[in-house]
Amino acid sequence: MNNLKFDETQSRIRQKAMFTNRLLFAGFIVFTVFGLFIARMAYLQWFNHEQYLGLSEGNRISVEPLAPERGKIYDRNGVVLVDNQPVYSLSFMRESIYDIDYVITAIQELLPSIRAETLAQFKSRLKRTPRHRAIILPYTLDESEAARFAVNSYRFPGVTLNARLKRVYTQNKSAVHLLGYVGRISQNDNLTIDRSRYRGTETTGKTGIEHFYENKLQGYPGLQRIETNAQGRTIRTLETIPPTSGENLTLTIDIRLQKYLENLFEGRRGAAVAIDPENGEILAFVSSPMYNPNLFVDGISHANYNALLHDRNKPLINRASRGQYPPGSTTKPFIGLGALEQDYTTMTESIFDPGYFEYQNRRYRNWRRDGHGWSDLKRAIVESVDTYYYKLSLDMGIDAIHDILAPFGFGSQTGVDIPGEANGILPSQEWKMATYGKAWFRGETIISSIGQGFNLATPLQLAKATSILANRGRIINPHALKGQAIESPEQIPIKSREHWEYIIDAMTDAVHTPRGTAWSSGRHITGYKIAGKTGTAQVFSLNDGEYNEEELDKRLHDHSLFIGFGPVTRPKIAISVIVENAGGGGRVAAPLAIQAMNHYIKELQ
Amino acid sequence: MIRSLTSPTDSLYVTPKNWLQKLHIDGWLLLGLLLLLSTSLLTVFSASGGDWQTTQQHGFRILFALGLMLAVAQVSPSNLALITPWAFLAGLIMLIAVLLFGDIGKGAQRWLDFGFIRFQPSELMKLALPMMVAWLFAYSDFPAPASRFIIGLVIIAVTASLIVVQPDLGTSILIAMSGLFVIFFAGLPWKIILGAITAIIVSMPIAWNFMHAYQKQRVLTFMNPESDPLGSGYHIIQSKIAIGSGGIDGKGFMGSTQAHLEFLPESTTDFIFSVFAEEFGLIGVVVLLSLYSFVLIRGLMIAYFAQDNFSRLVAGSFSMTLFIYITVNIGMVSGLLPVVGLPLPFVSYGGSSMVTLMISFGILMSIHTHKKMLTD
Repeated sequence: MNNLKFDETQSRIRQKAMFTNRLLFAGFIVFTVFGLFIARMAYLQWFNHEQYLGLSEGNRISVEPLAPERGKIYDRNGVVLVDNQPVYSLSFMRESIYDIDYVITAIQELLPSIRAETLAQFKSRLKRTPRHRAIILPYTLDESEAARFAVNSYRFPGVTLNARLKRVYTQNKSAVHLLGYVGRISQNDNLTIDRSRYRGTETTGKTGIEHFYENKLQGYPGLQRIETNAQGRTIRTLETIPPTSGENLTLTIDIRLQKYLENLFEGRRGAAVAIDPENGEILAFVSSPMYNPNLFVDGISHANYNALLHDRNKPLINRASRGQYPPGSTTKPFIGLGALEQDYTTMTESIFDPGYFEYQNRRYRNWRRDGHGWSDLKRAIVESVDTYYYKLSLDMGIDAIHDILAPFGFGSQTGVDIPGEANGILPSQEWKMATYGKAWFRGETIISSIGQGFNLATPLQLAKATSILANRGRIINPHALKGQAIESPEQIPIKSREHWEYIIDAMTDAVHTPRGTAWSSGRHITGYKIAGKTGTAQVFSLNDGEYNEEELDKRLHDHSLFIGFGPVTRPKIAISVIVENAGGGGRVAAPLAIQAMNHYIKELQ
Repeated sequence: MIRSLTSPTDSLYVTPKNWLQKLHIDGWLLLGLLLLLSTSLLTVFSASGGDWQTTQQHGFRILFALGLMLAVAQVSPSNLALITPWAFLAGLIMLIAVLLFGDIGKGAQRWLDFGFIRFQPSELMKLALPMMVAWLFAYSDFPAPASRFIIGLVIIAVTASLIVVQPDLGTSILIAMSGLFVIFFAGLPWKIILGAITAIIVSMPIAWNFMHAYQKQRVLTFMNPESDPLGSGYHIIQSKIAIGSGGIDGKGFMGSTQAHLEFLPESTTDFIFSVFAEEFGLIGVVVLLSLYSFVLIRGLMIAYFAQDNFSRLVAGSFSMTLFIYITVNIGMVSGLLPVVGLPLPFVSYGGSSMVTLMISFGILMSIHTHKKMLTD
């Protein structure tokens, strides 16, 4: 410090000057901000003092959410499927209740049909709730109970009777697997939903359309700023911001067709999906047996839930898009079409069927023991000649079959707007290596060719594939919400239009000629033509053993399948039907599907 | 240069004139603090609903913090400069440790448990970060080279992000500001300051466009809590009622109905200003803000009279950090600023932040009372 150079001193002086400037600036900021604060305080404490004093003195403001009305759901013709109806409930404001135990006991006496368990749970919840917030007793009062409470309400300060809207499934069980249901918001839901949108709302969509379109259906809450006196009674409403209702949804299903199909399924297990092939609109979405979604709305009781859960027929499972079944012979038209297009066979090539096919010292049986004799591809579809496909598949190989079926949507999700769709399985060499780490056997190709073995498909996938066939290759996206059609320009490349018509002809003959597998029900169709294919899916492999229906447990019987569309010339409906453990496709699934299609085309168009 | 700053001999110091200076106490600062702390005791007593035990505990904390402040004042600024890099390094390591195996309290990971003591490393950083940045400029020429500013900004960014992920937004803002004030006082050119502010303002709408709808909603609720009156807005509404109902002369000591009826959350800590404003009115608020101004001006004066670069920057930064504390808290409870949880300095009930604050004022006193004889 003793020998400072001149410029160093200069630099220090400049530095000091800069620092002083900045200190002054900082001081200026301090005074500006403090001035602002004093202005703010004067605004609150001087100019608006009266207002705030009024709010703090004796009177208190409470802010209450106004729950939005959840969107309603209609079918394609405007029939209400899901509605909201007013019901009564009791809400409790803790800060106005002096003795919670006393109030709960008195309520129990007044309304004896409330279960003691419910009240005990509610009591502990009430004790944990912030003082200023109202909570609702999870119990629905009927008209007479509401009236009884209203007369006695003077005994219950802090308890108020409110009418709220309850979700009602007007069709009860009908279409339950499509619509889904709402239920109480659970801990898990709390993690995924935006809490601020659910203030005042106690339920959220759990499955089906109710879950998938939760964002549309749930509106935005409004609120009410209320001035209350010390007893919690409303003195006046200071401000109301009305809630915004959720969007109403119009679905593509026709509830008449839905119910018609459901009636046909009465007493059976299975699923059916009907699609308008023109645009992919789902016309019916049946999974049988069904259950009543109204049970879930206010929280389902343990007894009811366990009954549903442990029911041997598994009503909770959505078979239509989650159920995976071996597609059986319903894959034949698709494989046949691909084989024609890729020159693995021709429209005239015939093979001789002795009733079985031998490969590597193993006999692969035809469904008809005595054989079909000479058969070309058309006959192989009309009469479902397995032997033809056994031989054809060996020429093609599993990967060629995979590549033919994949564009029709087998083995991949359809992207439908119903949650929880299954993938199905479309095997290939690569798939088997990735899944089991084993090489593909040629014998497995043989059983794959008739939709057995590893192959699995959902009824929805089958209906989509059938629609694409009906469209002559134009791909559609199945969907349940009107106006959600994704314009898909995709088209399966067509080599020869003739091939497509040949296959569709064969499927038409399967329904409309005496040798066809669906003739017994197809013979009643007049005025137009339906194209279809039956299928029988083995549930239980009998390994060369004899198949005796009588001896087998009913649950090990074959599944009965049918796919089809009509009218052939201008398709209006494509359908897939699976009836579990019902035996051959021609006997149960085909009559059911053809009857439903005929009803739709003749009566509902 | 460096030698002269870091190894002064005691003989270079001015002989203390009176007993206050002998004890390294700045009388004016002590007077301001004692007045604020008395206010604090009164308000905590009232806000806690006349709870003697809480008030007593608060009193003991104040005494402890005052003792610590006076102890720290005995350490000369040059010695403080010596330990600064090490303290900062230790703080940085502990911040990382807190993220890896810190204790979780009230939903945030802020504490480090040494077995015998639980310690919040972000408290150490409130002191160590601005001192570290000041240390960077202590030995540099004027104007300082750009590299110093860049290193400083990097240090600030790293420290603030380590704290913001705990998550502790309030402390993170506070610490970042304390470092930025050092850089400001060290002479960051106005061009760059204005440029940075402009860049932030310009980039905001762009960032906005890239956000998801729910993120936008969160930002909106953060900026304007009253848009969610059932959630965080409830507290702000109640706080405004408390302040507004106080009027010009207030409801009187122990007269806060908002606090006593439990409408105000955290009435002894984050929302203590609302209780004070309700009980002592606009007059009380003006007196309180004057007290704060007095302490702030004294702090800035100490910075002005400081003899070396390090002391100057530290004193300026500590004073302005107090200002940020006050602004964030009063801005929040009066509904002017977003909800960020910071206590009202010297007044709120609460341990660690008060102790840290007092230590920073101990350092201010040390700066003012350890003066070198100037030879020129």
